[in-house]
Amino acid sequence: MSLAAGPGRGHVAHGQLPGELRLVVDKHVAYIQSLDTRRDELEYHLTEHLRIGGIYWGLTALHLLGHPDALPRDGLLAYVLSCLHDDGGFGAAPGHDAHILYTGYSVQILTMIDGFDALEEKMAGGKHKVATFIANLQQPDGRFAGDQWGETDTRFLFSAFYTLSLLGYMPHQRPSEPPMIDVQAATAYIKACHNSDGGFGVAPGAESHSGQVFTCVGALSVAGELDSYLGEEGKDRLGAWLSERQLASGGLNGRPEKLVDVCYSWWVGSSLAMIDRLHWIDQAKLTTFILQCQDPDQGGIADRPEDMVDVFHTVFGIAGLSLVGYPGIGEVDPA
Amino acid sequence: MQSHGIPRVAATTLDKSEQARNKERKQIIQYQALERDVVDRVKAKDYSDTTFQLTSQLLTQNPEYYTIWNYRRLILQHVFARELAADEEPSEQDSAAAEKANLPPAQHEVLLLIKEDLQFLIPLLKQYPKCYWIWNHRSWLLGTATKHLPAHSAVTLWQAELGLVSKMLGLDSRNFHGWGYRREVVLAIERLSSNGDGEKGSRTGNMVESEFAYTTKMIQSNLSNFSAWHYRSQLIPLLLSSRNADTEIRREFLDAEFELITRALYTDPYDQSLWFYHQYLMATLNPANVQALPVLEPCGRVQHARYLEREIGSVREMLEGAEDCKYIYQALLEYSGRYLEVEAEGGKVEVGEMRGWLRELRGIDPLREGRWRDLERKMGL
Repeated sequence: MSLAAGPGRGHVAHGQLPGELRLVVDKHVAYIQSLDTRRDELEYHLTEHLRIGGIYWGLTALHLLGHPDALPRDGLLAYVLSCLHDDGGFGAAPGHDAHILYTGYSVQILTMIDGFDALEEKMAGGKHKVATFIANLQQPDGRFAGDQWGETDTRFLFSAFYTLSLLGYMPHQRPSEPPMIDVQAATAYIKACHNSDGGFGVAPGAESHSGQVFTCVGALSVAGELDSYLGEEGKDRLGAWLSERQLASGGLNGRPEKLVDVCYSWWVGSSLAMIDRLHWIDQAKLTTFILQCQDPDQGGIADRPEDMVDVFHTVFGIAGLSLVGYPGIGEVDPA
Repeated sequence: MQSHGIPRVAATTLDKSEQARNKERKQIIQYQALERDVVDRVKAKDYSDTTFQLTSQLLTQNPEYYTIWNYRRLILQHVFARELAADEEPSEQDSAAAEKANLPPAQHEVLLLIKEDLQFLIPLLKQYPKCYWIWNHRSWLLGTATKHLPAHSAVTLWQAELGLVSKMLGLDSRNFHGWGYRREVVLAIERLSSNGDGEKGSRTGNMVESEFAYTTKMIQSNLSNFSAWHYRSQLIPLLLSSRNADTEIRREFLDAEFELITRALYTDPYDQSLWFYHQYLMATLNPANVQALPVLEPCGRVQHARYLEREIGSVREMLEGAEDCKYIYQALLEYSGRYLEVEAEGGKVEVGEMRGWLRELRGIDPLREGRWRDLERKMGL
């Protein structure tokens, strides 16, 4: 699976009325299936550090499109397990160093393809080992580092929470065992990233950013603290900030005065859904915008109409359509 | 990375000629050979200068390859440890240079290596200003310098970073990597100059004044810079406490900020960034918004009400000639709602007028109709 953009042989169907726009499901499935056949392109090799992400995004898109078996399970399983390190972390590709993001993606893939038994076969006590790798990355102030080199980011914190949750190692899932991580310190850190405009930033003091809003709201949601922390007042403020991300084209941007981008359909949309305010944006217009970003001939979705498609924007476009209940797409859990 | 903003090209230009395909095949073979070479060397713990140079080559081609950045740091760690543990006599020339830098020779060597690597990163940063791993490596280098070098030497490096990050923000004033790095740099300089062996007792440790002035400069060059406005809002509580501001000074300060943003809003009432700053100033008066620290001390209910009255009046005046500006109605409704909570008898706001604003808003901004419906219910309009 490559993240390489393209193949981009498409063209926008000019003059197509919004009513005629529809999701080209078969084209998208074929596009995702074709991604791993592009080894003759330099771009394929230059994006190896994103391979496991690419697989996760592609597989999620296929699940939502109702074609979960379009990529062969055995091949996926073997590939994911070949990225596993002895310490329980996963790299982005075989031989690449372990990192919290790629460990998260790998665990998501294993969940989708029912691969935890195979993990245990390959590594005795594998699930516990992976959970330990994640837990060891927590810093004394509650944050999570991405790897042994120490970069911290609210993305990593959310990654830690959802990964442990999928593995069944969040403290609330094992009330009789000593907790593997300090949830309170982590959520205290998220609260320190909360801004007066209602949004969240990448670190305390950083400006609000839709991607970071998603990770912080997601983490609070996994921790079961979202409703009690934000309250109706906090939800109104965050919802107001998020709803202002929608521009006249129907698309959403990540910060004030920035361009719209399909991937924010997911970051903003799911955050709004988690705080019960998805109806604060125009979902029909968002649907039209996402459909306009498709390559109607070769499949795949781009950041904006007429741009190059890639698997990242493909999955987040489809997930956005799922949120707004586009017919024929599987339902997605916002968190 | 993901393809952001790359136009889709027509089929004809993508059908590669045999020659182009051959060239690409060759490039792939070369890239893979270089990758193999680097990986094999690092696995064999060959932390030589040659290996180091090869990581430079590979990272220049592909700065997103995080594992290679990790390898680079492994090599550097190894070299630093060797330098710092070495007891061999440095050359006369090296000793002289080290003495001039007021450093023991081994530490001077480490400093030079770090400077060289910082230099290597600059063209990469300019080419890939949104690549997490480059910023990350830079931050690691500076952190390592802070660990191994005395404060007077490390702080010089951090100060140079301030210049670099200003340059980067000059190229893209919204780059959030840049703003984040700036906060890190300022924190490091403040920390190193306050308890280091730098200028003791001087006030150079506190950069809040110069940083505040920087946001003024950024805003003046482009009003629509939400990042700069946001940074400004973060600095204000620190600024006032560093000025030991009393009640009167705080009030004057807040009024001056209101004047600044009001003038900006008259220039462009359609700019979201500006409204968010106005909203922030109002939030500092609202005890319910704990994310905005109070500017006034004390700030009671009566003062809150007076400011709400004044700003509702001032925003109302902005409507003239900008009757189609949704943000004005939003602000009027938000502040009026709060005013009615604070000042039970109302006085300056009439429900009828609020209904009118909401009606206008719904007409201008149908995208958010669901939000306006909820607002109508919440405010009992």
